[in-house]
This record gives sequence, C-alpha cells and structure tokens, in this order.
Amino acid sequence: MAGRKSWLVVLVLVLALTLGLVGCGGDDTSGDGDTGGEKIRVGVTVYNMSSFITQGQEGMQSFADANDIELLWNSANNDVATQASQMESLINQGVDAIIIVPVQADSLQPQLEAAQEAGIPVLAVNTTLSDEELITAAVLPDDVAAGAQEMQMMADELGGKGNIVILQGPLGSSPELDRSEGNEQILAEYPDMEVLAMDTANWAREEAVNKVKNWISSFGDDIDGIVAQNDDMGLGAVQALKEAGISVPVVGIDGIEDGLRAVESGDFIGSSLQHGRVELATGLAVALKVINGEPYEKNYVYVMPPITADNVDQFIKNVVTETDAFLETLPELIAQNLETGDIANEELQ
Amino acid sequence: MSGETKIDPTVEAATEPPKGKERFDRTRITNFLLRNLMALVVIGVAIYFTIANPNFATLPNMRTILIASAPFALIALGQTLVILTGGIDLSVGSVVALSAMSGAAIVVGHPERMLLGAAVAILVGLLAGLVSGLVVAYVNVPPFVTTLGMLSIASGLAYAIGKGAPINGLPREWGEIANTRIFTLQAPVLVMLAGFLILGIIMARTSFGMRIYAVGGNRIAAEVAGVKVRRILTSVYAISGMLAGISGLILSSRVISAAPYLGRGYELGAIAAVVIGGASLKGGRGTVWGTLIGLFLIQTLNNGLDILVVPAYWQTVISGILIVSAVAVDMVASKRSTA
Repeated sequence: MAGRKSWLVVLVLVLALTLGLVGCGGDDTSGDGDTGGEKIRVGVTVYNMSSFITQGQEGMQSFADANDIELLWNSANNDVATQASQMESLINQGVDAIIIVPVQADSLQPQLEAAQEAGIPVLAVNTTLSDEELITAAVLPDDVAAGAQEMQMMADELGGKGNIVILQGPLGSSPELDRSEGNEQILAEYPDMEVLAMDTANWAREEAVNKVKNWISSFGDDIDGIVAQNDDMGLGAVQALKEAGISVPVVGIDGIEDGLRAVESGDFIGSSLQHGRVELATGLAVALKVINGEPYEKNYVYVMPPITADNVDQFIKNVVTETDAFLETLPELIAQNLETGDIANEELQ
Repeated sequence: MSGETKIDPTVEAATEPPKGKERFDRTRITNFLLRNLMALVVIGVAIYFTIANPNFATLPNMRTILIASAPFALIALGQTLVILTGGIDLSVGSVVALSAMSGAAIVVGHPERMLLGAAVAILVGLLAGLVSGLVVAYVNVPPFVTTLGMLSIASGLAYAIGKGAPINGLPREWGEIANTRIFTLQAPVLVMLAGFLILGIIMARTSFGMRIYAVGGNRIAAEVAGVKVRRILTSVYAISGMLAGISGLILSSRVISAAPYLGRGYELGAIAAVVIGGASLKGGRGTVWGTLIGLFLIQTLNNGLDILVVPAYWQTVISGILIVSAVAVDMVASKRSTA
C-alpha cells in the first residue's frame, strides 16, 4: 500500500514537472542575455502560441533586431492566471514597456494598475482589455469590418441574391460576435439574401466538414454560397462540397496558408488577411514610439486587406513562400505604415 | 421526467412474484425491451427525423452519417475494451491530435512519404496507449490518473510538434487516405465497419475477449483462474491508443491538415457512446454492439438536429440529457435482472 502511494507521489511530481516544462516552453527570453543597460527591453505576454502568434513573434523579432530592442517573450497557455503572473514578473523586471495579447478581455486589472504605478506603459494587441483607461495604446483588428468584407464579397459574387449558410466561430467569443455583426450589417443591405442556417463549427476544419455535410443533406442545391468566419472552417466547407460533388462559392477570413492556396485555386472566392507578423510588429513599433516619447495614437485599427484571385500571389509570397524577404523589409514597412496610418498595408512604397 | 413514469411500474412488477405463464412472459418482454431500449430509441429518433424532414432518410445522408461517425467509432471501440476492464482512457482525444500532428509533420513537403506518415500516425497512437497500459498494469497507477497524465503529455507534444500552430500546406496525396472510395463508401467508413466486425468477434468469440470481461468482472478471481491480468490491461490501452492513432490519421487526411487541438473532447463523446450502449463503468459488463448503438444514437442526433437547423447549444443539452437517462435506465434494468 505504501509502495503504491509513493509511486503516485512520484507520478504526480513527474507530471507537475512535465507540465511546468511545457508551460515554460514559450518563455524563452529572446535576444542576448548580457545587455549594456542601454538596450530597450520590452516584455511580451501572449495568450498562447497559435499560428497567428507564431507569425507575430517572427514579425516582432525582426522589428526588435532592426531597432536594437530586447524582447522578453512569455506565453500564457490560454490561462488568465498565468498571464497575470507573467505581467507581474515583467513589472518586477522593470521593462520599458509591456505588450499584452490577452487571454481574456475582462482580466488583469490589478496588474494594469501595478504597471501604471511603476510607470510602465502597457499596450494591448489583437484583443483589448476591459479597463481601457489603464492601457497606453492598442493595436486591434477590425473584426466587424472583416465580417462585413467577407459578406460583401459573397453578395457581389451572388449578385445580391441567394441562399447562404454561415459557419460561426465559438459562440460568444469576441471575434465571433464582431464578425457576425459585420455579416449582419451587409445582409441588412441585401433583403434578397437569405440565411438558411448559421451555427458554430468552433473555428475547426473537421467540425465544419460534418456541419456542412449535414446542411447539404438538409438544403441540397438550395445552398448558393457558404460564408465561413475563418479560413479553417471555410476549408472544411470546401471538403464537404467536394464529397457531395457540388460547387458553390466559399469565403473565409484570416489568410492562413491553406486559405491563401484556396483563393489561388479558386476554391475560395476570397478571404481577408490578418497577418500576425504585421499586426504584432506594429504593436512593438507603437511601444517604441511611447518609450521614445514620440507622439502616438491611443487606438490603431488593423483593417484586414481583402484577398482575391487578383492579389493573392503577393500575399502568398509575404505569408508563405518568401517570408524571410518579407521580414527583412518589415521594419521599414511598419515605419511607413505608421506614417500613412494604413497599418495593415503589405506593400513597401 | 418521462423516464420516471416509465420506470416506476416496472420496478413494482419486479418485486411482485410472477404469477402464471402470462405474467412471466410480460416480465420477460419488459426485460427484453429495457435491455434493447437504446436500439429502440435509435429507431424512434430515426423515424422522428424521417417524418420531420424528408431529406433525412436519403442514401447520401446515410453516407454523411457514416463518414462523420468513423473517427468517433474507432476511439469508442477502444474505449469499450478499456471500460470493460473497469478502467477509463481519458487520453484518446489528445492522442488523436498527437498522431495527426506526427503523421502530418512527416508528410509536409514530402508527398512521397505518405505511407510512412500514415504508419507513424498509427504507431504513435499505439505507443501512447502502450505507455498508459504499462503504467496502469505494472505500476498500479489508477487509469483515471494515468490517462489524465497522458492526455496532458500527448496534447503538449502535439503543440510542440507544430510549435503551437496547426500544420498547413500538406500535399494533396495526404487526402487520398480518407477520400478514396470503395463500393461508393469512403475508406474510413469501411475501416469503421471492419473495426466493429473484428472487435465484435474478438469480444464475443475468443478467449482474449473472455479474459477482458473476466478482468473487469472480478480481477482477483480472474488472476486465480490463471488470466494474465497485467498483459490484458496493457493490451486494451495499447489497442485504444492505436485506434485513436487511426482516428487521427483519418481526421487529418479528410481535411488535409492537422491541428494540435484536433480531437479535443472526443474522449467524452466516446465514453458517452459506450455508456449509452449499456456498459458499466465498473467494468465487466457491456458489448461492442451496445457501443455501436450508442455511437449511432449520438451521430444520428447530431446529423438530424443539424438538418432541422437546431442550434449547436441545444444539441449539447439534448446529448447531456440522453447520457444521464441512458445510465438511469440501465441502473434500473440491471437492478431488475439481479433481483
């Protein structure tokens, strides 16, 4: 009996260690350890290492290298409490600014207050925090505009008339609510467009396949178009259409690699690009402005560029095939974008 | 509510001694109905959807249900064996993700490695299951704890393989595995049917199957009778892991991508199918046939409710009610048969 118990203890310890290590996986501090004290240090805490954030880290690093900034990178594994303690740790380290990509909008109030007390500017990127007066500046995507943009693409494709189905993000999440609002805005302008069904497939491709297959069973040829609130679900819809042997226009959002390829091949009529490299690097660029005492705006809005068959080649280069070249020009691009105000622009003038 | 009114009179009938042949037949019939209640519920649900929407009972829609069922079926089958030994495998969902990510990582950028990727996906699942099995069988760590740990480990590794991100840009050839059609059925459907057939026969006809029941029924008695309990335990978790690996392969191939969050929560769906199918979580009681019924009940509901455009949140409420009532009925039925 005692033997069994001690085994359990060992297992729990091993587990705790493993979890701890996994948890620390994203914590590697980038840049050289020995800094000359002069180097600007920016702390970053992100919700998790998603593909969007992984791209964003590349973009930030490129901007940091070009501007001699040291990044202290932390990933919160989708846990609010972890993010809170990472913030506390960054405050204790006395960084020059903190960039948060929040796990949850309604969180971190005590940490934001502590940062304010310590005189450390805090920037929110991608998702804002409820206590907006405690945030120095924010760089946020316009999900409502993205939802409107994709629905406009579909309305144009269908000539303003037809039956559609909508695949939503996780119900109640803020991008879902915003993208749905954008969808509705455009639908209100086209009374001849009817929504046969709208439901969530939780951003997931394999969930969307089954959902759309079921809708095809239900509505068959009545479906004229499929509007997906992200590319992954749109790609699931494409697969469902292929299995059922029918073809209708599909539109997505995000511009992930497979989504861009789908626009290229004609499986998608279009998408909207949310480019992590540009968006997160912009966050860092704004942080630098704040640190240097340069004028900055409180809110920067990232309006996702439309991806269509006409411009998809350039985006494929920037996002997939020639990312190194893109990252090289990124610091210059970001500086130019902050001048013009179009922070989602991908082309260096 | 309706369950209560249905069950009460039968409980009364059981306490009364049967009088005469007619009475005896009636109890036997009620017993039979109770035992096969879930099969009847599936038929009832199917009839309801057929009446409610003419698009339900069509051949293409039956194929839609079958292809959606396949990946769940495989992990539910593995779960059945594990639950029959009195254990539980909470890790299958994240093993699905780990297998899919492993296979995809090998095949990305290398279309010629398709078979290798498929083999690795299945082997990774097998390995994860084997590790859980060995820990449960030889170290005596409770299955709940072991597989909870494996859930975490496999999920973490799946994220590590993709550096936190899904794997995009897989070659088209990867999709051929799940999208090949044989006799108008997609390959995963045939894999599912073969899985049910093979495990059905193993559990009903072979000594290996009998030993699994024996271990779950009474471990000490089984040991005394000469059953190598540890080997049996190890093998059921290994089989469960391998089936999760195949499931991951199928899911990933069907949509030609792999995501580290693939299969999240699937373990609960699989456990639900097994439990609705009449298996006891204490082990020793349950059948592959029952799991098949449980699985098709869940999948038919998912499909039919989508066809009727019932929102997803109501769908989850309905399946929750279903799970609890299935077990409630089962408790009453088993009380009757032991009384």
